[in-house]
Amino acid sequence: MSSSIHNAHFLLRRVHSLLGLLPVGAFLVFHLWENSQSRLGAAHYNEQVVGALKGMNYLPLIEITVIALPLLFHALYGLVIIRAGRAEPAQYPFLRNRLYWLQRLSGLGLILFLLLHVGLTRIAGLFDPSIADDLFAHMHGALSQPLVFALYLIGLLLAVFHLANGLATAAIAWGLTTSAEAQRQFGWVCAGFGLALALLGIHGLLGFLTASGAGASA
Amino acid sequence: MMNRGREVIVIGGGLGGLWATLTIAEAGHRVRLFSLFEVMRSHSVCAQGGINAVFDAKGEHDSVRQHIVDTIKGGSYLANQPPIQSMCEDAPGLIRTFERMGVTFSRTPEGQLDQRLFGGVKHRRTCFAGASTGQQLLHGVDQQVRRLEADDRVHKHEWWEFLSLVKDADGVCRGIVAMDLRSLEVRAFRADAVVLATGGLGQIYAPKTTCSTNSTGAAASRVYQQGARFANAEFFQFHPTAMLGEDKTRLMSEAARGEGGRIWVPRDPADRREPARIPEAERFYFLEDWYPAYGNTVPRDIASRAIWKVTRELGQGVGGSDRVYLDLTHLDRGFVASRLGAILSIYRKFAGSDPLQAPMEIFPAAHYAMGGLWVDYEKDTSTGGMRPGSPRNHATSIPGLYACGECDYAYHGANRLGANSLLSASYSGRVAGEAVVSYLNGLATGAEAMPAEYFDAEIRYQAQINQHFMHARGDQNPYHLHQALGALMTAKVGVVRNNAELDAAIAELAELEQRFARLDLAEANAWANQSLAHARQVFDMVKLAQVMAASARARDECRGAHYKPEFALEMPPDKYAGDPEFEAYRARWKANNAEWLKTTVAEYSTDSPRISFEPVDLSLLQPEQPRDYR
Amino acid sequence: MTDAHEPRTIELRIRRQDNPNSEPYWHHFALPVRAGANVVSALMDLRGQPVTTDGTRVDPVAFEHNCMEEVCGACAMLINGRPRPACSALLADLDSPVTLEPLPKFPVVRDLLVDRSRLLDNLKRVRAWVRIDGPWDTHEHPPRLSQQAWAANYLYSRCMNCGCCMAACPQFDQDRPFVGPAPLAQVRLMNAHPTGRYDKATRLHAIMAEGGLSDCGNAQNCVRVCPKEIPLTTAIGELGRQTTVQLLKDLFGGA
Ligand SMILES: Cc1cc2nc3c(=O)[nH]c(=O)nc-3n(C[C@H](O)[C@H](O)[C@H](O)COP(=O)(O)OP(=O)(O)OC[C@H]3O[C@@H](n4cnc5c(N)ncnc54)[C@H](O)[C@@H]3O)c2cc1C
Ligand code: HEM
Ligand code: HEM
Ligand code: SF4
Ligand code: F3S
Ligand code: FES
Repeated sequence: MSSSIHNAHFLLRRVHSLLGLLPVGAFLVFHLWENSQSRLGAAHYNEQVVGALKGMNYLPLIEITVIALPLLFHALYGLVIIRAGRAEPAQYPFLRNRLYWLQRLSGLGLILFLLLHVGLTRIAGLFDPSIADDLFAHMHGALSQPLVFALYLIGLLLAVFHLANGLATAAIAWGLTTSAEAQRQFGWVCAGFGLALALLGIHGLLGFLTASGAGASA
Repeated sequence: MMNRGREVIVIGGGLGGLWATLTIAEAGHRVRLFSLFEVMRSHSVCAQGGINAVFDAKGEHDSVRQHIVDTIKGGSYLANQPPIQSMCEDAPGLIRTFERMGVTFSRTPEGQLDQRLFGGVKHRRTCFAGASTGQQLLHGVDQQVRRLEADDRVHKHEWWEFLSLVKDADGVCRGIVAMDLRSLEVRAFRADAVVLATGGLGQIYAPKTTCSTNSTGAAASRVYQQGARFANAEFFQFHPTAMLGEDKTRLMSEAARGEGGRIWVPRDPADRREPARIPEAERFYFLEDWYPAYGNTVPRDIASRAIWKVTRELGQGVGGSDRVYLDLTHLDRGFVASRLGAILSIYRKFAGSDPLQAPMEIFPAAHYAMGGLWVDYEKDTSTGGMRPGSPRNHATSIPGLYACGECDYAYHGANRLGANSLLSASYSGRVAGEAVVSYLNGLATGAEAMPAEYFDAEIRYQAQINQHFMHARGDQNPYHLHQALGALMTAKVGVVRNNAELDAAIAELAELEQRFARLDLAEANAWANQSLAHARQVFDMVKLAQVMAASARARDECRGAHYKPEFALEMPPDKYAGDPEFEAYRARWKANNAEWLKTTVAEYSTDSPRISFEPVDLSLLQPEQPRDYR
Repeated sequence: MTDAHEPRTIELRIRRQDNPNSEPYWHHFALPVRAGANVVSALMDLRGQPVTTDGTRVDPVAFEHNCMEEVCGACAMLINGRPRPACSALLADLDSPVTLEPLPKFPVVRDLLVDRSRLLDNLKRVRAWVRIDGPWDTHEHPPRLSQQAWAANYLYSRCMNCGCCMAACPQFDQDRPFVGPAPLAQVRLMNAHPTGRYDKATRLHAIMAEGGLSDCGNAQNCVRVCPKEIPLTTAIGELGRQTTVQLLKDLFGGA
């Protein structure tokens, strides 16, 4: 009877969707809020923001179970999903179809970005304690190179788009928005959310650029 | 299942064929269902208006008896009355069964089945599903048959064309030969009984027809050429309200009139103003003038001839041409949109103008064959209707072959009432199915005992015809032959007929048949060769057209859709029952009935159809009242 | 009406294929058409004189047609890159030359003729029917249904299985398991029927398996190309809700 348990297909897809939203999507929001505090200066960022996190008990465990594994699952299963479709954005230039295509494109882009980004921050920090000790300086150094800055900007925008559009499609997949009108309106809500999130992210990116980080631009 | 079940073939997956399939398969027999294409694309999907059944949803004192009387009178008393009685009695149950299958019938505010008005009746008796009733009904049964197919109780042969019957030494039908329309393979299939449900034949009038491009009548013609009797071929209905078109004349449902649409022409045919700018006083609402009691909802034959008269005889068509207005613009937009949405969108899509803004332009077009394969019935003397489950019901004159749906002749006499043929197609499919089940119970030896040579011989014969057509290198293109047939039939065997033209038509049809000797198929591909199938169909259509012309020639009177002005009995205007003039007319009318109230039966012979007549069962309602829609 | 116009000549570029296993090729035709002509009527005219623009006589083009009024779904093909019924495609509204290709995603039988049996098989897969006890008449009245519920259901009942939505869907293809939007919409319809809903769980489980509802990626081309304006994405959303509830029932409901 309970074939949705015996047949894991549906469950896997819903888990993929849920993980994209809950730990991963939520982490992204938190992460961008966290990084936006670069504006408040190197000391504040290193001590109050990063330091507070580092002080958490069981931090590695939390990082692995709440961030790494969900992200890994979502990304890998995302690859499976991407293989099950073939976008034709040029033949059907409708908005939703373009978004469908971009959702997949941004997912692929994110994998590359994350390999680079996490490799250069969290993973590098494992081997080189000086990075972990002064993350602000590390990011300042990195982002001062125009190429890295551009990559980060792209990665940020891809992630924000992917989350915002994912939110809109998740609402359809879970049956929260059904009528075309509801889907359209919630689409605007998601677009607004994405815009705000992108601004927050850019705000943070720029924060790392101020050399000392001393002057909070109030 | 208790008994292993026998093998039955149903040809045609419209409403008739699917109902037969369902009934036979549910009784435990195996059914092979043949169709030219996926069954859910059958012509039945085109029906828009609705299906008749008495529910008296509107408190109009409607009754089954009244439905019977309307149907009998609508058909000018030409149909046998016991089948009509049974059909009308069973109609409400049939609708409820459709409803159980999930058909989305339109609802009243109270959530009950809604009913609308249709031509030829005074009561709202027509159940409908928006303006796509045929599609909804067909899909309802199609889904049930798909359910049986999933259970392996029905096997579909879609993309197969029926070519001929296989009969044993006693003339009993034991199977068919059919052609795979892709590989062109010709194959025989054994069957203990065969049901033919291959629909109408409007393509004989192409392109001036509302019928689908596959409604050729070829299958019925083939069994006729193999000995089945064909009845009432001269009765062909022209629908009064079809939109003009070069490839097809698309139906504007009678519902448009039923819901309040009005037909008119400008009083002055030279009037070039936009219709909306023509004041009421300068409009000629000729149906309302001539038939005040029924007005725009007179039956189809009357409306068609009135339009014919206005345009062809009075020269009053819009701009002097073959067009009149069908006007909905005075009706409430929301109401019209919800009741007639589907046909409005057809008009918008195909004519490029909006019927809510400007009246539609329409003209009569070939629509429905009342005639068809002759079928039997067994009368139940205790009820006066058909005896349920009798193996004689819907049996053709070939034992083991049954016919149902538009390809039979049973229910509509000389003229079909609107919304009665979805009913007759569905109902007859079920009755034929039940009859087949009884027939099988009484069948001593099945088709599996038949020697193979019967089948092999027929396969060889049909394959030979294919070879002949494939290699024909004359100068006659099959598509052009079809056009010639349509033009000829429209001109000479149409709304109004006369014997001189019918004689000419018969001669021209014989000539048309000869032209097949000089066929040029112009297509050599042996895979999915559509020209081959088409050429074969057109040939059989010509054979059937000959039956229609010969039957029309034989009947020297006016009855229903068959109209020969020479023999018209004019009802005295403004005189009603009791008036001596009217009574004199009634006497003439009765005398005419004494001579002509009989079924035309055509039988195949190599030179020309042999026409004979047989009496009609009038046991329910004697012809005392001439049809009067004034 | 547009019948005052003169006949004009149109150009047709048709992708042809002799049989399922042969290579496609193109033929160009020019033919005069009357005002109001549609793609099917042009193809029908072409059958009588299939001569290409360079004067070669070729086999007539194979294609499918029946109702000629956009209710049977037979004539769907790719017209100037869009899947749509050919009978309702008026030539006057199309950019010339008009390019005709077989409906994508379905195997080509010949020329513009395709095999859509996959669509019908998928209707079986999702059990798109109301299970009735038998085709006999019962004496009960039909269940009542509000006009609003009727109106919502009726939208879905107009699907003519033309396959346009499937052809435009990036998730649907011959070699992929996705059932496609049209069968999903029928699940929505059947689940709403007063007795059809008795099999709701069975249908939902059918679309919760491989190739089911969650293989839809919300590209929404389906709803854009559907000639019958069937609210496919609304159906998909509603089924999303129904499957969510079904999942919770399966996980925690015990049955
Ligand atoms: C435009 C239009 C509107 C109508 N509206 C109404 C209405 O509102 N109300 C009403 O009551 N009636 C209406 N009618 C009439 C009604 O639709 C038809 O009479 C009825 O649907 C016929 O059903 P059928 O089952 O006999 O045949 P069809 O539905 O025509 O089916 C014929 C079947 O036979 C198959 N077939 C044919 N030849 C062969 C062969 N050689 N080999 C294998 N298979 C073959 C076809 O594949 C098809 O499956 C309308 C008719 C038209 C033309
Ligand atoms: C606005 C630009 C960004 C900045 C400045 C930034 C900064 C950082 C920094 C400094 C770290 C190291 C944290 C640590 O080592 O404890 C980090 C880790 C990480 N970032 Fe970003 N990031 C940005 C955008 C993103 C985006 C768009 C993503 C995508 C989801 C992302 C995902 C991650 C992940 C997964 C980690 C590892 C987290 C952990 O395991 O603790 N970042 N980021
Ligand atoms: C920053 C990290 C990521 C976040 C926050 C995130 C978030 C989301 C969300 C919320 C959804 C919507 C789920 C739904 O429609 O039900 C989604 C969908 C998707 N994600 Fe991610 N995702 C991330 C990374 C990735 C990566 C790295 C991939 C890998 C390719 C990926 C591939 C996909 C795909 C293919 C979908 C579409 C699923 C569908 O439409 O059926 N995502 N994601
Ligand atoms: S949903 Fe629309 S596009 Fe899809 S098959 Fe049905 S009618 Fe055609
Ligand atoms: S186009 Fe396909 S991906 Fe979903 S929304 Fe429609 S079914
Ligand atoms: S021919 Fe029926 S939809 Fe075009």
